[in-house]
Amino acid sequence: MTETVERNNRIARNADRVGLGAMILASICLVALGAHWVSGPMVSVIVLVLVAVIVGVLVLAYTGGPEARRLLAPYGLLKPGMLWLALFFLAPVWSLLRISLSTKESRFSVNYNFSWAFENYTKAFSDFGKQFEHAFVYAAIATVLTILIGYPLAYVIAFRGGKYKNILLGLVVVPFFTSYLIRTIAWSTILADRGIVVRALNAVGLERLFEWMHIMDNGKLLNTPAAVIGGLTYNFLPFMLLPIYVSLEKIDTNLVNAAGDLYSSASRAFRKVVLPLSIPGVFAGTLLTFIPAAGDFVNAQFLGNPNTSMIGNSIQDQFLKQNNYPVASAMAAVLMVSIATLVLLYTRIFGTEDLA
Amino acid sequence: MSANTPKNTMTRRQFLARSGALGALGLSLPAFLAACGGTEGGGGGGEESLFFDNWPLYIDPTADGLTGTVDRFMAETGVKMTYGEGYNDNNEYFAKIQPLLGAGKSIEADIIAPTFWMAGRLISLGWTEKLPKDLIPNFANIEDVYVNPTWDPTGEYSMPWQAGTAGIAYNIDVTGREIKSVADLFDPEFKGKIGMLTEMRDTIGLICMSLGIDPSKITSFEDAAPAFEKLAQAKADGQIRAFTGNDYADDLVSGNFAACVGWSGDVLQLGKDSPNVRFVIPEEGGTSWCDTMVLPKGLANSTAAAKWMNFCYDPVQAAQITQYVQYLSPVKGVRDELAKLDPELAENPLLFPDDESSARLRSFATLTEDVEAKFDEEFSAITGA
Repeated sequence: MTETVERNNRIARNADRVGLGAMILASICLVALGAHWVSGPMVSVIVLVLVAVIVGVLVLAYTGGPEARRLLAPYGLLKPGMLWLALFFLAPVWSLLRISLSTKESRFSVNYNFSWAFENYTKAFSDFGKQFEHAFVYAAIATVLTILIGYPLAYVIAFRGGKYKNILLGLVVVPFFTSYLIRTIAWSTILADRGIVVRALNAVGLERLFEWMHIMDNGKLLNTPAAVIGGLTYNFLPFMLLPIYVSLEKIDTNLVNAAGDLYSSASRAFRKVVLPLSIPGVFAGTLLTFIPAAGDFVNAQFLGNPNTSMIGNSIQDQFLKQNNYPVASAMAAVLMVSIATLVLLYTRIFGTEDLA
Repeated sequence: MSANTPKNTMTRRQFLARSGALGALGLSLPAFLAACGGTEGGGGGGEESLFFDNWPLYIDPTADGLTGTVDRFMAETGVKMTYGEGYNDNNEYFAKIQPLLGAGKSIEADIIAPTFWMAGRLISLGWTEKLPKDLIPNFANIEDVYVNPTWDPTGEYSMPWQAGTAGIAYNIDVTGREIKSVADLFDPEFKGKIGMLTEMRDTIGLICMSLGIDPSKITSFEDAAPAFEKLAQAKADGQIRAFTGNDYADDLVSGNFAACVGWSGDVLQLGKDSPNVRFVIPEEGGTSWCDTMVLPKGLANSTAAAKWMNFCYDPVQAAQITQYVQYLSPVKGVRDELAKLDPELAENPLLFPDDESSARLRSFATLTEDVEAKFDEEFSAITGA
């Protein structure tokens, strides 16, 4: 009896380290499998190690007594997420970075030789600077527009929606049951040169104004920068609206009433009470909109022209048409790093303590 | 409302759960629909099957009381055929099959339809199978000009599917006048309403001819450099609305394109339903090309593929394809058969060019590998996103 207790104590002393070690080892195994570090019979060895590690920890937790289980529990809870990230995030990113520093054996080769080929990155910057610029500028404008459209809409639904609240939210969400592609292509029909919008603008004589504002170009709305930004705004509006709605909806209206009781004007109450409390929603919405919009290629593909390509189009073109995986990977890596940097700066400047 | 939530309003948690569920439904619905329309896989059981992946608008369908070639073939031979229209652009298709064929794996299709230069590339890379010619007696019906062509010098790997010309397609409702010259494509009046093909040899070929450069005599990039400059300038000026593959048809019919570089047969087909869509070989001349049938390495059903090729090279069958697609047929005797079906079409110079129009056509020179690499790189720098 005392022997078992002694043994359990010993196991418990080491359980912490064992748990951590097992998780790291299992993650490395998955990255190795995912990123093709090994081939042939070594693959089965790695799979065996992976299974052995997981089974081993389970056995340890089963036999090691309550103290060991208490120490192993956090790693057990972390593991599914960690292993998922290892296989589906770390391994692909590793492959991407590796290919971005590789060269092709020959023009039509499918093999890439790792050679610290930093010229891929130079090429990504020199040949595709314009497309990077388009991506960030269009995504930024679209993000601002989604705030301008989404905030008032969310406000009305949250505070004035009453019993129609659910229906109004449904109206926002329902169009997004159809495929992203179909919705975007639908816009290319709506905005077509002889489509309903252009004809209506001509009929009321707004065409001149739109031409002057550079929204239209030689009588066309479609295939202009404005159409691309419009498409982005349309497609990402719910990602802005829903977080703002959630943060507005939880605001206690008594606070606004209280501000009124203290002789605050309605607009001042909005600025001092509602707006600060809803900022976390705007913040979350901005991230949810800007990040995917900067990497988007569908809108520029169907609503843009050859001079409005965004970096997503270039990456897609290099991967799928030019077969230039190294340069495409370099561009993808640059895009990833620049978005991450922008987001970090943004969180630093605007803070996220309230986000929780 | 924080203290006692009325029953009718959603709590935040409910809201998140519901919108999450709706979102998941929205995401999975298209995938579900796509899964329902899945393509049929390769050979199953004893029945012979065949998958031909071809360009869009490139065969007669079963419609208007006529039985399409695919259905006639299936009825006659019992082969279960899948006809795909996944070939929209040579480079795009090449990029799709390259990782598989390059790694020694086979692709789903049994026959594919690369344009002559792409067929040449696939053949020289060793990614194609020899034709089982003893199973294709009708190979003898091939037009003389396609016997041992430059892209397949031994004639063992490819059979032409259709040939045609690239010229200018235009929508006269939008242009308001007849288009005759490549120079019209660069007219500022049509700024932002011009389409160009991603097919380098047709787009650059036409521009070359308008600049007095003979595309059949090009040997180095410098020969064609002025055409590239002209195209790059037009793009920078916003003259060009889009670079397209075979998908220019919609924009042309809807009037988004005033004019574009297009392929003869496509536009003649479109013209049947939309009389305002017209095709012209520019006065400076047009390019001629030929799409082929090749068997990708490791195909599953070469016997069925041979049966299909044999069937299509029967002039009676070929004439029905020609009647619909309105391209130049590589099969001897089609003109006589077509005269029985549609005498007017049998006299159309776009289908059966006379000497005078033939003289205005050039086919793009065969480029050496390095020169081709340079052309592709420069062209994709303009057209690529």
